[in-house]
Amino acid sequence: MLRFEGINARIQGVPVLRDVDFTLEPGATVALIGRNGAGKTTTLRTVMGFIAPDSGSLYLGDRCIDDIPAHARPGLGIGYAPEDRRLFSAFNVRENILLPARAARVAPEEIRRRLDGVYEILPELRDMAERPGGTVSGGQGKMVALGRALMIGTRVVLLDEPFQGLAPALANRYAEALRTLRERDRDITLVITESNPALLRQFADRTLVIERGEVSEGSLERSHADAATQEEIS
Amino acid sequence: MDLIIFTLAVLDGLAYASQVFMVAVGMTLIFGVMRILNIAHGGFYAIGAYLSAGIGLAIASAGLSPWLHLPALVIGAAMAGGVLGLVIERFVLRYIYVKEEVLQLLVTFAIFMILEDVQRLVFGVQPYAASSLVDAMGTINVLGIPYNAYQVLLLPGVAVLTLVGLRWFLHHTLLGHLITATAEDREAATAMGVNANRVFLLTFTIGTVLAALGGAFAAPTTAVQLGMGADMIVLSFAVVVTAGLGQVEGAAVTAVLIGLGRSFAIYLMPELDVLMPYFIMMLVLLVRPNGLFGTVQTRKI
Repeated sequence: MLRFEGINARIQGVPVLRDVDFTLEPGATVALIGRNGAGKTTTLRTVMGFIAPDSGSLYLGDRCIDDIPAHARPGLGIGYAPEDRRLFSAFNVRENILLPARAARVAPEEIRRRLDGVYEILPELRDMAERPGGTVSGGQGKMVALGRALMIGTRVVLLDEPFQGLAPALANRYAEALRTLRERDRDITLVITESNPALLRQFADRTLVIERGEVSEGSLERSHADAATQEEIS
Repeated sequence: MDLIIFTLAVLDGLAYASQVFMVAVGMTLIFGVMRILNIAHGGFYAIGAYLSAGIGLAIASAGLSPWLHLPALVIGAAMAGGVLGLVIERFVLRYIYVKEEVLQLLVTFAIFMILEDVQRLVFGVQPYAASSLVDAMGTINVLGIPYNAYQVLLLPGVAVLTLVGLRWFLHHTLLGHLITATAEDREAATAMGVNANRVFLLTFTIGTVLAALGGAFAAPTTAVQLGMGADMIVLSFAVVVTAGLGQVEGAAVTAVLIGLGRSFAIYLMPELDVLMPYFIMMLVLLVRPNGLFGTVQTRKI
């Protein structure tokens, strides 16, 4: 569903992605594991079109999306929940969730259908619907950002460090929502970045490890051990 | 102070505030969304005014009903403002968003100078007055004082309609939501599929149309002459800054505040007439550096 083909990217001259090559199958749940600064967010931002690679190509399905501008990418069915949530305080929670589908001019019946689907996975969003986007807590904001990504991410959903800063109860709730999503929809390709792989062990069926911009196939156990070592050192 | 002077000052102030608001609201909208301080805005106001005066004089010399001036000025100003806005955003501004603020200021200032010369070229240097519409609308009594209906009803009516319409557009339509989202966080909006380039084009054009309309509606009450654009840009900048950059509703309140301040100064202390708007701005900024309605944010200018 999503394919990186020899992608190299730099931010202000500093290489951040080096020869990144991988293919994600439809329906895969992929953990992208790496330390802070390894290039996890950059990988997702490249998919969203915010970083223009120096070389290499990006494919969604069979289609090369290199020339598709950032604003047109969500409309292809790519949902994105940034690490810092980025909710709009001018809108209430429901308007925030609906925005990507409305911006892509999705038909109203289809929007309603998708919103119902989001509410089934994240029922708490229904209760928050009328609250201004600026008043939800950080953890709730992560839920809203997930719901918003699901509204448009019919093919690929990218979640950047969704568990970062979540209280344990909320983290469990979030994980439960992801499992529900997985049960309901077997075709969406789900990419979750995380610096603490233990959280993803329950449901990721594939792990990619990113280190200094290089992506390699990994196992949760090994990278978890790495992370543990890392924590001991620091 | 007696009631007559008080009433006159209030009416003058509201009429004046209405004119300033039409320009200031577009300026603050453009800043709020595009983060560009658009000096050229005064030029659109002046072009609208010249066009409206020209249309008014043509209607009068053709012996047509002065009421025709009203729809004609709206259509003329909207078209002129629309075309100018589309062309200038698409072919000039689009290339300077990523540049430094100083360059952006210089470019919009250059556009303003070019527009002034275009006025000189097309309309010459003599002032125009086309007030037959104001005469045709007659006067109404406000607390026993006859006042012309154009300034006491039409101008504030247009301003209120603009404010209400713009609020409705921004809060209740899809395009309005796309503009609001882009204003708040351009990158996040893009990640949600909002085409910021289109939003910028639309926002800038709305702003230029409003400024041209402001000039077109102001024309029948005043002598249209060179320099009116420069005066207006400074004044509406004072309104925008006093309200807080990017604050649409705030611009309305502040326009009234500054309009009333100025008209009371004219009646009570005429020597402070020109100074008054900036005096109010200074007082407000001393207490609230981000403006009356502004929130703390990283400002570019």
